[in-house]
Amino acid sequence: MSVAEIDVDALQAEALLTDKPERLLVTYWKRLRRHRLATASLILLVMLILLVIVAPIIMEHRTYYNVSKGEYLNYARDTQDLAARNAAPTSAHPLGTDELGRDVLYRLLVAGRLSLFIAFTVVFVQETVGMFLGAVSGYFGKWVDNLIQRIVEFVIILPTLPLLLTLSSILRDLRIEALPPEWSQAVVIIVILSLFGWTGACRLARGMVLSLRNQEFTEASKALGLSDLQIIVRHMMPNALPPIIVSATLGLSNVILVESALSFLGFGIQQPVATWGNMLQDVQKDMFTAPWKALYPGLAIFIASLAFNYLGDGLRDALDPRLKL
Amino acid sequence: MTNYLIRRGFQMVIVVIVATIAIFALLNAVPGGPLSGLNLAADAKSRFSPEDIARLEAMLGLNKPFYLAYLTWLLGEDWVDEVGATIGNPGPADKMWDTGTWVDFQSPTCKNVGGTNAEWDGDGISPCRRGVIRWDWGQSWSLARGQTVTSVIGSRVQNTVILMSSVTVISLIVAIPIGMISAVKQYSKLDYAVTTFSFFGIAMPVFWFGLLMIILFGLKFKEWGLPYFPTGDVFTTRVTPGSLQDVLNIQPRSLADRIAHLFLPVTVLTLLYLAGWSRFMRSSMLEVLRQDYVRTARAKGLRERAVIVKHAARNALIPLITIVVFQIPGIFSGAILTETIFNYPGMGRLFIDSLNRDDWPIVMAILFISAILVVIATLVGDILYTIVDPRIRFD
Repeated sequence: MSVAEIDVDALQAEALLTDKPERLLVTYWKRLRRHRLATASLILLVMLILLVIVAPIIMEHRTYYNVSKGEYLNYARDTQDLAARNAAPTSAHPLGTDELGRDVLYRLLVAGRLSLFIAFTVVFVQETVGMFLGAVSGYFGKWVDNLIQRIVEFVIILPTLPLLLTLSSILRDLRIEALPPEWSQAVVIIVILSLFGWTGACRLARGMVLSLRNQEFTEASKALGLSDLQIIVRHMMPNALPPIIVSATLGLSNVILVESALSFLGFGIQQPVATWGNMLQDVQKDMFTAPWKALYPGLAIFIASLAFNYLGDGLRDALDPRLKL
Repeated sequence: MTNYLIRRGFQMVIVVIVATIAIFALLNAVPGGPLSGLNLAADAKSRFSPEDIARLEAMLGLNKPFYLAYLTWLLGEDWVDEVGATIGNPGPADKMWDTGTWVDFQSPTCKNVGGTNAEWDGDGISPCRRGVIRWDWGQSWSLARGQTVTSVIGSRVQNTVILMSSVTVISLIVAIPIGMISAVKQYSKLDYAVTTFSFFGIAMPVFWFGLLMIILFGLKFKEWGLPYFPTGDVFTTRVTPGSLQDVLNIQPRSLADRIAHLFLPVTVLTLLYLAGWSRFMRSSMLEVLRQDYVRTARAKGLRERAVIVKHAARNALIPLITIVVFQIPGIFSGAILTETIFNYPGMGRLFIDSLNRDDWPIVMAILFISAILVVIATLVGDILYTIVDPRIRFD
């Protein structure tokens, strides 16, 4: 072995030792970038979210000729045009109109706002609650663990879709006085969906916490005088985060599908408020005269759900610590 | 094992009872209910008087406090006066307007015969409700008024079983080989196709897929002059010229007619099941192929075919038990969305219709039966695991 070679190795070793460690997020990002479909999905989703936020604002300031009113009106969710019902796509209505002559494109965009908002809120609520309960369950063990896990098993075993439908059929007429009707409906749906969705996060977090509970840093935190709650929230929950993020991303796709199914069946968000699901609600009646109405809302659901699935798949690879670059 | 079974059986009963109590509580706690729409009639003449409404409430059993409603639903009402008399609690006065005793909580028919089924000859509907536990599921309120819940469900369940079992069988037959081949030839073109397909299937909203199929096979086929498929119902009532039944000369109500009607719903459901199941099969097979015993089988010089079929495939099939077993409740309760889209008179449609019409006896019956089936399916699945895979033990 020559002297020069040793020098090179030593230099490299030193460079490795002295260099600041790469930030974890950067590593994750690099890994995610290698998953091309996931990156494309991420870009697509960001664009979709920007689109549903910005595009309606622009459209609201533009006008179209409303035939039945005989004047130029701004695009709006509920403005009807009974003289142009189920109209085929034109330049004024790029995606046509629905059975009341409302502009499908504008409704599709605001529906996207609500559908995505519900999906994100439900997932946030259910993952946070699930993660907290899971961490509590794993941290305290004994009867707390036993109780929470029995509840989890109970929720998992219930027939989900029939129960969701029953719950929403019971609660769909419930109005929260303080909120405008569409928000009140959204809150009801969010609560119902979160009720059934937290178990996955709970199990993941519990498993993670069980392996962390007896490690030194937990004892150190205790020695430093942190309360149980502080240890759970500050030290246990963040450690369980990577797998939860993956399950949350896949959960977004699931919530979009379930919410649209509920709304499609008439048990979710009610007309005239638009979501992707309830835009398809009465589409079958006009199937033979206006088939394009059936196309776009479903396509939106499909694309959003597919993108969240690919993103979740990519994130799973990126966040999996067993996977080395 | 016996201990385990006893404990599980106990848990199952509790799960089912708690679930039904929760649903019952919700149905009763929320204002509105099946009678809320009655007085929407505009003219004063056709409105119901408070007495009428009270009578209707008594008939449907809505006057009862929640816990009593649940108990009579579960156990029947012929014991209400006896037990009530022993407790001696007269309950809320406004609901017990007649005699001021527990007897008021019995339905009028039951009250007329003195609160007992002793004189009932066992024919038709008993004057006193006997409760679910004695196989009295009550009568439909609105969907098929006056018919018993069992007869309503009986008229639908056959259609759903036919639909769901054909979907299950076809999907399994196709999904197992596809998933296995896709795992054995990982990263091949076929594997990519299968993976992409399953992603599409998971993300696809069933009802939209159904609509697209109706547009293609019903609408467009008709436009193009091809024999188009029926898009709803189970049998043809009137053969229209140019339809599949007309072209193939299928008689209404024949087996071929049924198959023609099953084609679209079965295709939709099968493709979606395939997507999930082939992916499941693939990952299960990939897991097994990595195991030591597969390497051992190769090392001792077995042919690749023997390794795959005899050593890998048999073990990869074990997790499939979960899927097959969890189909059992599905075969009863049906596919809510697909049946709605294709207007297929099965259990899923029945459930949606009875929810829409506030037909609580039917809703409760379907929920109760599916809860029981799910719970049993879970247990059966766990037991099957121990039989198939001796490494798994329950204590």
